[in-house]
Amino acid sequence: MADITHKTDEQLIVEKHIANLHNGFAHWPRAEEAPPALGDSRWTQDLILATWLMAETGKPPENGLEYKIGASGGGFDVLDFNIPSEDQWLPADTEIDLSIPLNRRDDGAQLKINIPMYGGGMSYGSISEHVMQARARAAQHLGTFTSTGEGGYPPSLVPYKDHIITQVATGMFGVREETIQYAPIVEFKYAQGAKPGLGGHLLGDKATDVVAAMRESVPWVSLFSPFPFHSVYSVEDHRKHVDWIRTTNPRALVSVKVSTPTDVDMVAVGSYFAGAHIVHLDGSYGGTGAAPEIAKKNIAMPIEFAIPKVHKYLVSENVREEVTLMASGGVRTAYDVAKAIALGADGCVMGTAELIAIGCTRCSNCERGRGCPFGLTTTDPLLQQLMPADWGQQRIVNMYNAYAIQLRDLLRKLGLKSIRELRGRRDLLKYVG
Amino acid sequence: MNNDLTRILTSRAKLPRTNLAEFNRDEAAEGGCGVIGMASSERIAARHMLAALAQMSNRGNGKGGGIAAVGLDAAEFGVSPDVLHNDYLLAMAYMDPAARAEVEAQYIHPVFEIDHVREQPHMADYTQITGLDVRPPDVVLYFVRPKAEELAAFRAEHDFVNLPARAVEDEYVYQNSFKINTTFYASLGEKRAFVLSHAKNLLVLKMVGYGDDVIRYYQLEDMHAHVWIGHHRYPTKGRVWHPGGAHPFIGMNEALVHNGDFANHASISEYLAQRNIYPLYLTDTEVAVQVFDLLYRTYNYPLEYVIEALAPTTERDFTLLPADKQRIYSMLQSSHIHSSPDGPWFFLIAQADEGGQGEAVYRLTGITDTSMLRPQVFAWQESTVDGESVSIALAASEKQAIDAAMLSLAAEDPRFWSRTDRYWNARGGSHTDGGAFLFSVHDDYKTKPKLVLTNKFGEPVKQPTRRTAYDRAAYTPAPAALPQGAASEQFAWALEQLPGWSYQQLQDFLAGVEAGAGDDAGRARAIELLSLLMDRRYPTGSLRRSSLVSLVDESFARVMAAIRKTPSAGYAYHVYGAGLPAPASPAQALVLDAQGYPPQGDDSVGREVQRIVAAGFRHIIIINLRGQRFIGNGIGTNTQDVHIHTYGSAGDYLASGMDGATITVHNNGQDQLAQIMKAGRLVVHGDVGQTFMYGAKGGSAFILGNAAGRPLINAVGKPRVVINGTCLDYLAESFMAGDPLNGGGFVVLNGVMFDEDGQLAELETPYPGSNLFSLASGGAIYVRDPHQRVAAEQLNGGEFVPLSEADWALILPYLEENERLFGIPLARLLEVGGIPRPPHKVYRKIQPGSVRALQAEEAWVTKAKTPTASGGH
Repeated sequence: MADITHKTDEQLIVEKHIANLHNGFAHWPRAEEAPPALGDSRWTQDLILATWLMAETGKPPENGLEYKIGASGGGFDVLDFNIPSEDQWLPADTEIDLSIPLNRRDDGAQLKINIPMYGGGMSYGSISEHVMQARARAAQHLGTFTSTGEGGYPPSLVPYKDHIITQVATGMFGVREETIQYAPIVEFKYAQGAKPGLGGHLLGDKATDVVAAMRESVPWVSLFSPFPFHSVYSVEDHRKHVDWIRTTNPRALVSVKVSTPTDVDMVAVGSYFAGAHIVHLDGSYGGTGAAPEIAKKNIAMPIEFAIPKVHKYLVSENVREEVTLMASGGVRTAYDVAKAIALGADGCVMGTAELIAIGCTRCSNCERGRGCPFGLTTTDPLLQQLMPADWGQQRIVNMYNAYAIQLRDLLRKLGLKSIRELRGRRDLLKYVG
Repeated sequence: MNNDLTRILTSRAKLPRTNLAEFNRDEAAEGGCGVIGMASSERIAARHMLAALAQMSNRGNGKGGGIAAVGLDAAEFGVSPDVLHNDYLLAMAYMDPAARAEVEAQYIHPVFEIDHVREQPHMADYTQITGLDVRPPDVVLYFVRPKAEELAAFRAEHDFVNLPARAVEDEYVYQNSFKINTTFYASLGEKRAFVLSHAKNLLVLKMVGYGDDVIRYYQLEDMHAHVWIGHHRYPTKGRVWHPGGAHPFIGMNEALVHNGDFANHASISEYLAQRNIYPLYLTDTEVAVQVFDLLYRTYNYPLEYVIEALAPTTERDFTLLPADKQRIYSMLQSSHIHSSPDGPWFFLIAQADEGGQGEAVYRLTGITDTSMLRPQVFAWQESTVDGESVSIALAASEKQAIDAAMLSLAAEDPRFWSRTDRYWNARGGSHTDGGAFLFSVHDDYKTKPKLVLTNKFGEPVKQPTRRTAYDRAAYTPAPAALPQGAASEQFAWALEQLPGWSYQQLQDFLAGVEAGAGDDAGRARAIELLSLLMDRRYPTGSLRRSSLVSLVDESFARVMAAIRKTPSAGYAYHVYGAGLPAPASPAQALVLDAQGYPPQGDDSVGREVQRIVAAGFRHIIIINLRGQRFIGNGIGTNTQDVHIHTYGSAGDYLASGMDGATITVHNNGQDQLAQIMKAGRLVVHGDVGQTFMYGAKGGSAFILGNAAGRPLINAVGKPRVVINGTCLDYLAESFMAGDPLNGGGFVVLNGVMFDEDGQLAELETPYPGSNLFSLASGGAIYVRDPHQRVAAEQLNGGEFVPLSEADWALILPYLEENERLFGIPLARLLEVGGIPRPPHKVYRKIQPGSVRALQAEEAWVTKAKTPTASGGH
């Protein structure tokens, strides 16, 4: 027993909660009887428990939990792979490459990530600084990236800057010349699938003193980012916007994050011609939940429709090999990642899955300042202590390691030596709805 | 409904239909574009358009460009003036040379009397133009009149009982062209020929390329016209482009170019379809010009109503219209809201129209959307030569394009000089100017054509000045003796002398300034003095300011040329392509000659400035700017001692991200200046464009003139800004800059201007727009409004509060600095009607109102003892 005599009551309470939570996350997925009231049809109880187990062990579950699909009755849940007979599998010791290039143009740094996934933008304020640190350190460990979201660049993240994407969104909160210059990749967030047609929206409840200080705004006032960029009303403005970032930081790659309206294919090609290295499609299932109800219910095209539409169009325009296409918005599992890639993406951008790994239960209380029982989507100084960054880092790394095992296994069975060979192989998918 | 009107619309129902499956596909989906237009009492050569378009080429991507010219020179086409004025000029584009015989056999020879046919000359080899990968169409111009029997049959067939002959003729030509296009262009697959234009005295040429390529390829450099519009297109998709998709698009007697796009293309197409009008090229721009043609030619609306139907007057501006206008506008809006383009757009329309008494009117019209979402600048220069008015008016998507055209024109035509008398923006959908300006050249074919400028309401634009323009007669100046002393003292002396000076005396004075610039101290003095003469507004006696400043520009250029020739310990000179210099001493200034630098990219001025700052220069004078962007971007945090001066046309995004340095713009600024600026200082001796200081965090800025739309939007932290003029609208929307009395940010809006006599004058209102400080949660606006002209309903969430002692103590140093920088005396700002008043009777404070509700969480969330993070560094 630790020496408790020098600890405050608050510290003792936090320690007790952390111990109980960690104990719960470790044992719950292995419980004999399924615990009640977790999840929803997209993120089922099994998926959440399986993600917790992967985050604990670094391996795919072996206890019967369904870790590949949810129960939505649509989307990725009604797609499966045509696995050939065993005699066509590659030998078990085949080296399978999961890396993808992020820059397919001939300008700028030739960045590559070791796994076909990186972390999506979640702002300081929507999540805690501990969560940001955990994500950044995990990205560094894994050889991939995470994104600042639109809420500033906490100084505690600067040591990991080579693995952090600076997001430039319509409110320009926390974006400074310096934070643009830190970044190997700058991401323009034109829209997000969770609330297309709206800018970022941090509800007043979450704009605490520290969040407002980071954004240099006024505490307790809802922070709306405009929609769209008032400096970008056309593709030639966008081109100028890209040129600005590339002047400020000539080595940065440019990612353009857009939601999935019906003309998303045109948007993607326009972004490419304006100089984007990465086109990032954000479909409708995603989002932290830190959005107004009306926005959460009025959403864009599902990502599994948008990916092939854009992929095919890029192919027909002869530019598919010049641009990296990333997908996000409801990508929950290693199998979702593989399906998105088979539909035509190069890789996926992950958000909610990382939060689940560190304890999220999808209780949807994210828009409240103290709503998160696990200290994730909060900046409350007390609550955020419930998720220590080093613990979170390891959980996220473990989850991706478990994903990597699954992806390699799948590719081997499909007879593919590299995740890059899977791209656009819709012939390997079947509809099982 | 007027019977003839109904009959015209009905007659179009008999036209061949296009493939309706494609009907709602917005295939081109334009983004933005670069546009410029000019109208002049003189016929202006296309090479000046070329200069402007070439400089703006980064607003297009080479996938579509075009020009339209109105008020042509008959001799250049080998026709008599009568033929030019009275014949329809049918300009045919043949992609497939074999189509010519078919078009002529079906749609030209049987229906028209042909007075002249001209094959438009062009370069022998289109591949000589870099980047041109589609062969431009062969163009044949037919000067034609519809055959009398054809017209009679057409009138009889459609029962056009009372329709005037001209209206029948126009409709006949319009429908004939529609048939040509549906047969030879819009039909599936084949794109063999199409009609470029078909109005009298109006010509459109366009192709897959840049707008300036059109002038080069068709060898138009020496072609002259009273009105020009030009366009670079930036289509976002498609590997195959067709010239028919390039701008300008035509209706009947007008051609339209467009910067922006609209969201309701399908709805407007539907509206047109209900009137039997079916656009053929699947772009929003064509739809726009069809609406214009419908309202103006078919419905016979006055232009004012056409403009109102396109860009409705809304919000507070509507309530400020006279009652009779409100009644009519309200009817127009209810009838035409479905044909009103919704989205960001700026139209330039070149029109061949008719005035009273048989005169021709060649017109350039610029219209901005009600929300002013696209940049737009207008300009006017006028002088009297041999007792006749010589006048040119321009409109463009950025000022540097106007500068380029005027520099090109001034270089060869002594009747023009490089700076115009006025530059201004239109306020979209407003009660003040209606968001549109009409530049009409009236030609009675007898006397010299006259250029008349009006706003949407038909009110004349105030003549820029009556002072004599410099006639640019050859004169060798004799250097005048200048008084000893600092530049400021010499400047004060010159201001005393100026009212008595002729242009020759001014030139003698400038020669004296140049003669005194032999050593480094003299150079410093000359640069400061000439800058004061450019930047400040002051009485100029009998001289015209734009002419005077053009002469100062030339003198400044000679001082710079001397530095180039003889660099010194104090001044180094750097040109494009030369090796990166190192400062001889920390005090050495570097003159960076921007000529030849591309507007963006690794070789740009913006990148070069980064390298120059890194090399150790702290004082940089950038000259000969021609719209290059990104100056002062990315130079880093450790730059508090860096001072950059810009001369010429500095481009977009100047000072964006700036974090410590000082930039002085010795001219107007363009769009997106000082985005996310964090620290440092920006001084602009003129106006600034759209979204000035968007998302700024701090620093100070002093603007002599106006800001366009949306200045300071989403600014946070502690930016401190003085704008001496006003803004179009949406000033400090979502401003979140803390408590100004406790380290936060603010904007001082003075609402003053210098009149043409160089005297400080109050604007009619310090803020004309309907949206001031909307949704702001922090910071404050200090508005000089002694007559209480800004009304509470203009604030969207803000509230007026009395100006406190602390407020005045806060803004006073900024107003003192403002006086030092611009010569706007604080004492004058505190005068009302010539009588000194206390500050709180002159300035009003606007602060956030009750936007901040008590949040449920606020009451019980744990307060941070010390913030774990700070936004600073």
